[in-house]
Order: sequence, then C-alpha cells, then structure tokens
Amino acid sequence: MNLLWLESPIQTSTLAAWVNREAKKTYEGALSMLARLHITTRSDAKLGLNPTFKASFRQAITGGGIHRSFGVPAEKDDKAAVTLDMLDAYAVERWETILHYMVSSGTGQASAKPSQGVLFLLGRSGLMAAGRGGAMQITSLGFQFLLHSPHAQLWELLLQYLHLAEERQMDLVEVLEFLLMLSTMELGRDYSTESLGETQNAMLEDLRDYGLIWQRKATSRRFYPTRLATTLTSSLPPLPTATGTAGSGAQAQGYIILETNYRLYAYTDNPLQTAVLNLFVTLKSRFPNLVVGSVNRDSVRKALSDGITADQIIQYLTTHAHPQMRKNNPLVPVTVQDQIRLWELERNRLKSQEGYLYTSFSSQADYEFVLNYAKQLGVVLWDNTAKRSFFASMEGHANIRGFIERRTAAAAGNG
Amino acid sequence: MKAIKGVLLTCDSALKQILLTMNEKQSFIIEDLDDNHVVIKADEEYRVRLEVEAELEKNSFDA
Repeated sequence: MNLLWLESPIQTSTLAAWVNREAKKTYEGALSMLARLHITTRSDAKLGLNPTFKASFRQAITGGGIHRSFGVPAEKDDKAAVTLDMLDAYAVERWETILHYMVSSGTGQASAKPSQGVLFLLGRSGLMAAGRGGAMQITSLGFQFLLHSPHAQLWELLLQYLHLAEERQMDLVEVLEFLLMLSTMELGRDYSTESLGETQNAMLEDLRDYGLIWQRKATSRRFYPTRLATTLTSSLPPLPTATGTAGSGAQAQGYIILETNYRLYAYTDNPLQTAVLNLFVTLKSRFPNLVVGSVNRDSVRKALSDGITADQIIQYLTTHAHPQMRKNNPLVPVTVQDQIRLWELERNRLKSQEGYLYTSFSSQADYEFVLNYAKQLGVVLWDNTAKRSFFASMEGHANIRGFIERRTAAAAGNG
Repeated sequence: MKAIKGVLLTCDSALKQILLTMNEKQSFIIEDLDDNHVVIKADEEYRVRLEVEAELEKNSFDA
C-alpha cells in the first residue's frame, strides 16, 4: 500500500526492511503475484508500481475524478422515493416468476411467463428445451438448477448471460464491469443511466427481467439495484424475503420436517417451494401455511427419471430442514436417506455402454498384443482371456482399428 | 479377428436371467460374455430397457 504514494521505484532492500521475519513468506508470495499481474515493475534491484495501475488505484481510493467504477448516483432526488420493501418485492417477484415457470413447465400447468429474453436465455443454457408442440420443457439440468441455492442459481444464470453476450457481440468487458459495479452499489439508492455505455444500456433491459434492477419506466433515466444485484459478490442471502411474506423469520432457516415414516410436512405458503417439493414428493393435502406429503417410490422415481439425483434430493432436504429437525442427528432420517439411495440404485441396475466387441483373434499373442494397446488407451470395458475377446468403448475403435491394420500390413510386408 | 458393434450391458446376474428369457422371445443378444456382461445390438437397446423396466415394475409393491 505504501508503494502507492511513492513516485519513484524503490530499492527492494528497503522494502524488505519493512517486513518482519515471520511475514517473509507472505511478502515474497505477494511480490511474485503482483509481478505476474504486471502491477509491479521490477528493474534491477528496484521495485515500482505500474504507472497506469497506480494512477487509477489512487483515484479509486480517494474517490476523485470522474471514474464510475462504483456507479454514479442520480443527481436529483427521486420525487417518489422507492422503499427497500418495494425493491425486494420486485426482485422476489421477478426471480420467482422465472423459477416457477421452469417448475410448472414440467407438470403442464400454466403459469405466468417471463419475458422473451429470459426464455431465450433459459433455452440457450440448456436448462429448458423446446418440447412437444414447441412449448418449453424443463430439462434434467434445469431440475438440478432448481435445487441449488438462490445465490448459485443467480450466478449460473449470469454466467450463461456472459456466454450469450459474447455471441451477441456485446463488449464483454463492459458487461462484466457493469455486473461488478452493480454488486458494489448501495441498496435503495437510485443511480443514473447516463454514465452507462451503449452495451450497458442494453443490459439494463435484460437485468430488469431477471429482477436485478428496477426501473420505473423503460425509458427512465435512473435505475435501482435490487438486493439480488447488490449481494452478487457477498455472502449475504440474496433474497431475504424469498421464503414468504408472513413469519419469514423461521422460514428463512428452513421449513421442511421429514419423519422416519417418510411423511413430510413443509411449513410454507410459497407456491414456488411447493412446486419444487412436488418434484420429488407426493403431496397429499395443503393448508394455508402447511403442505403435507410423503416421499415414496413413485415420487422419487419420477424425480430420478427427470434427471435429479438422490444426493441432490437429500441435499435439498438437509439445507431446507426446519429448525426443529436440526436437533436430530443425522438431520435427515437414515431410513429415508438410504431408501432414496436404494431407489436410485434400483433404477441403475442396467448399465449400458456403446462400443465394439473384438473377438476371434487368430492367436493368443495377437490377442494380448491388441488388448495391451487398448488398455494403454484406457478404453477397455471388459476382457476375457479364456474367450480371447474384449470389449472397448466407442472412442477407442478408430485407434484400435488403425493399430490392427498397421500390424497386418507390417506382417504381410514381412511375409 | 472380428470387431462387432454393439452395446455392452452390465447388470447383476438376476437381471441377466431376465434378459436371457427376453432373448428367447425376440433375439437381440450378440454375445453372452459372463454372469454380469452381455453385448446386445445397439439399435435394440431402447426397447430392451423399456421391457426390463416393465418386467421389474411387476416385482415391486407399494404400501
């Protein structure tokens, strides 16, 4: 940090004198890292900071200049100030619309459709695919996505967005800059759109659809980051109110009680959570703040055939367990855990691998020679010396065939 | 030397017996390798899977 204010390069020996002996290793690690990032310039025994880095870092810290790395707050106060609650509600509403659309697409129930841009992104990322009649259908990847935490979901979607941005010839640097800028913004403040580049203005619309920012009108000159955006790079929960509006305190921690007899009680009134549960639970009855159902063979098999794994189900049950359940050890009843895993195994009794069966070798030596080659490639799935045949995967076939042809050609040449 | 294209099925021996019975009705097995491995025709795989599933479903009971 001291280097920041030094105009001229400094002797490395002087620098080393600042560091005490215990911290020597850290110091050297830091130096080599900085050098690799081209932040420091090293000439002979002198050490200095890259001039450009020095200038901009100084500016960023002192807040001087007209840089906009932390966003530019709107000049005038908004006439009708936007409350935090409103922003949160908006973010939750948008986000859950997307997720709910994904869930319900599998069950055939109609639900509110998110905008075209969102649908396109979901399609591109492979979370959903056009199914029968052109309607979007959730894929197994999508099901797995649903069981993640909101934070992971958000980043996954944004990463996909970055891929998409590349294809749309958007300036990736600007896109990234904007996302990082959003994450450092203050919740509940309005920021001006004037300082944004062309790409970033286009992004505004997309991010509005995802619920990351809020604008009064599409043409509005100011925007508000929501909690989804401001917690991007922090570990705070992105959707504090996502688990429902009433009595959210307990629900934020978890709402599922699972008994050893496979009965499941979920204290929630949130349609999204109910829909997610419906993926692997047979729901029996529904009360204003409680859903009762049971985990059984059919429901789990349905989930498995959708591409959800047993581990994911158990993981979900664990992370969303009700505080009451946390007293139990282990958290999810062992019987249920084991049974879910058994159901998964049952489905996988038959394992199939495509490939070629090599058989009728003329001599034992021939067989061993080819088998050794295939083993080196790591493509042998099964072999039997007595039968003098082995089975190799599809990828290995071209290589093995080439190998045998070369060998027979060489043998013919000799003989 | 011969190379035959196919799908290698890995399963337990009980399931293999089911496969063998099914094979008597409509042949799809190329080579019976050992207790746990069978090579079948690649284009029959989907049908075989469906039938095995249906067969196993008969043996499960729900409370």
